[in-house]
Amino acid sequence: MSEFLRSYLTVAIFGLVGLALVGAFLGLGRILRPDHPTPQKLESYESGVDPTGDTWSQANIRYYIFALLFVIFDVEAVFIFPWAIRLDAYGAFGLIEMGIFIFILLLGLIYAWRKGVLRWA
Amino acid sequence: MSEVIVFFFAAAIILVGAVGVVVARNPVHSALFLVQTLFGVAIIFLIQDANFLAAVQIMVYAGAIVILFLFVIMLLGVDSAEELDVDPIAGQRPLAVVLGAALLGVGLTVVLVAAKGITGARATAGGEHALDNGLSDVERIGRVLFTEYVFAFEATAALLTIAVIGAVVLTRRAAAADMLPDREPASFELPPLAPAIDEEEEH
Amino acid sequence: MLAALVQAGGSFSRPSVDWHAASPELILLGVGVLITVIDVVWKQRARSLVVGLSSVGLLAALVPVVTLAVDGTPRSMFGGAFVVDDYALIMKAIFLLSAYVVVLMSTNYIAEGDYWENEYYSMLLTSVLGMLLMTSARDLISIFVALELLSIPAYMLATWRKRDLKSNEAGLKYYLMGVFASAIMLYGMSLLYGSAGTTLLTGINKAVSATDKPTAVVTLGVVFVLIGFAFKVSAVPFHTWAPDTYEGAPTPVTAFLSVASKAAGFVGLMNILFVGLIGRSDVYQPLIWILAAASMIVGNTVALRQTNIVRMLAYSSIAHAGYMLAPLAVVSADVVFAGGGSVVVADQALRATVTYLAIYAAANLGAFAVVIAVARKIRTAEIDGYQGLFRYAPGLTVLMTIFLFSLAGIPPLGGWFGKFRVLEALISPGTAWGSTLALLVVVNSVVALYYYGRVAVKMWVEEVPDGDMTPVRVPVSLAAALGLTAVATLAFGVGPGLIGHFTEVSLLAGIGG
Repeated sequence: MSEFLRSYLTVAIFGLVGLALVGAFLGLGRILRPDHPTPQKLESYESGVDPTGDTWSQANIRYYIFALLFVIFDVEAVFIFPWAIRLDAYGAFGLIEMGIFIFILLLGLIYAWRKGVLRWA
Repeated sequence: MSEVIVFFFAAAIILVGAVGVVVARNPVHSALFLVQTLFGVAIIFLIQDANFLAAVQIMVYAGAIVILFLFVIMLLGVDSAEELDVDPIAGQRPLAVVLGAALLGVGLTVVLVAAKGITGARATAGGEHALDNGLSDVERIGRVLFTEYVFAFEATAALLTIAVIGAVVLTRRAAAADMLPDREPASFELPPLAPAIDEEEEH
Repeated sequence: MLAALVQAGGSFSRPSVDWHAASPELILLGVGVLITVIDVVWKQRARSLVVGLSSVGLLAALVPVVTLAVDGTPRSMFGGAFVVDDYALIMKAIFLLSAYVVVLMSTNYIAEGDYWENEYYSMLLTSVLGMLLMTSARDLISIFVALELLSIPAYMLATWRKRDLKSNEAGLKYYLMGVFASAIMLYGMSLLYGSAGTTLLTGINKAVSATDKPTAVVTLGVVFVLIGFAFKVSAVPFHTWAPDTYEGAPTPVTAFLSVASKAAGFVGLMNILFVGLIGRSDVYQPLIWILAAASMIVGNTVALRQTNIVRMLAYSSIAHAGYMLAPLAVVSADVVFAGGGSVVVADQALRATVTYLAIYAAANLGAFAVVIAVARKIRTAEIDGYQGLFRYAPGLTVLMTIFLFSLAGIPPLGGWFGKFRVLEALISPGTAWGSTLALLVVVNSVVALYYYGRVAVKMWVEEVPDGDMTPVRVPVSLAAALGLTAVATLAFGVGPGLIGHFTEVSLLAGIGG
């Protein structure tokens, strides 16, 4: 086996062991526990009182905006990684190019901030 | 040889995940099957020596974009009890199966028959278009970002920013201070303005 | 240890950047950033400043285009990935001028409705930036990034009328079909890269023309890439998004989509075709032939039945996309001189499409400007509302007649020269397929005259519905847009040498064609 695969064998075994552990515990629980459902037991829990209304309430749009901002800045971080690895090699040219890149994205962040999107109230 | 085994293992993960995305009745289950597919793609990247891209795949795709999917699913409140058995257009499902099989057939024919078999050569191996052999894959990406694709790189910055601006415009309900008094609406068939709900103060 | 790391990698030499050649894009980027900064600082108070700034910015970006054209030398950077030659310059000029006219058209429209204003202009400028990048892009990644940069603001602009259901539908349909087509195109691009080993279009040309390579993969890649661009130019059968999107979007945005976005799709298609894929005419010629013929026939036939003028113009623009695709169906790598002259057949086809694009842009923008002006009074887009327009708005009637008949191709208005160039490019190679397509162009032009003429008849002859004779108040910027497009349409028709001189461009310089 090549060197590359040997190094990732550890990762693969780790992942398989994780899956096996989770599967074992859940499966063991399913085999061992008693299963006698009654209608009262199957009702959803609502702090001890009788549950009323729908089980689903609509998420607010601001969660979506935060997730979108996270995606955008995650992609920005991905672009910064290759530059950061060999910072000295790219010199001033790389600094200016990366500075323009970060500035344009910072503008997007400031825009979102000034339009009140980042407020959690 | 061992790489072929790993490839088939990853391909199985990808295909099972992809089929699961289409077949699962609950959209949240579809999103989780998508995570499985993306993990399989990350393994394929590892086989091709693209360690950085594998990490990026997990970090950005499975980590951020699938989260976005889940937020949208929760926002839309797609009910898992939705009526999925009846096609909106008659014969939609059989037609999709036929077209999908045709596409698959074309693709397989092209790859297996006309491409003179699969050589299994690595993209980073030698040959006339070998990638730079002295550097790690992250360094290769960085080098290319700052030489050939520098304009595309800056254009990507503009693209990401415009996505933020557009999303804020589309999702945000303007505060009363932003709304103009209703003079002459210039467009035809414009519905009357809904009363603006006073949200956060801007200034 | 760090020193050893530094030693390990090769030295990095910064690429040489020709700032003059990149200055139109840089100016536009700077203006876009400035508009966003102004929006962030002053928000709604800076509305009029933003409008003025965006129009000044577009004209300012035109200045280096002119100086580069006067200079005349083609420039290339990054090993041929970014090329500024005559073809790129004329297309940049077309994009900048079209965007300027759209800004004029949208000033009052956006200000008077409940629209987000500053962001509208920054979206518009970013889309134009993407279009400028597309004209100079000669490698797959730059083309794709430019395509996304011009499309994504367009998707959002189509939904700008946020409370209108039709506008939401427009944006959603455009977006969903657009990203699906982008995905297919990207798959085709990855197949082409896989068989060539480089993203440069010149490298791809070497790879696809070589006959010892596996050709089926290349064929599949070519087909997928063409499908992606066929969506962008709304060719049949990838046109289904166009009528609903044009109808639902705010009308200045519709004008922008029908002219600039379509032209950008053509630019991308021509770049890939002429520089990258020209060796495989056996693959793309039949496909483009079918796309062109279907677009012409379906576009004109369905336009006959429309009662809404925006939908009619949408279907007519699908037909015009067919006319513009037609010359590309006779392009091949053979060095055959057209009609005994000194122009290669492929170059002649390129010039035909570029000329038609310029003339179509002027006439279509003008037609939409008239639609906006008339809608200020009659509040509807039905063709029946245009009855009797001559009685209370004679100027607008004359202008609309000019634009409609230019689209139909009647001399002395501009459209005839475009159609002449297209027919010339189709007939001169002397092939049966080319001549059949030329026949289809002629037949379809005659059919189109019917529905253009029907609108003109309604305007000139019929009685005003419910006798409302109040004149139409046309604001200054809209009048300027109308004036510019009318002058251009007349100039192209009366003195075609003007546009003919500027469109003597060639993309084959590096290929030995």
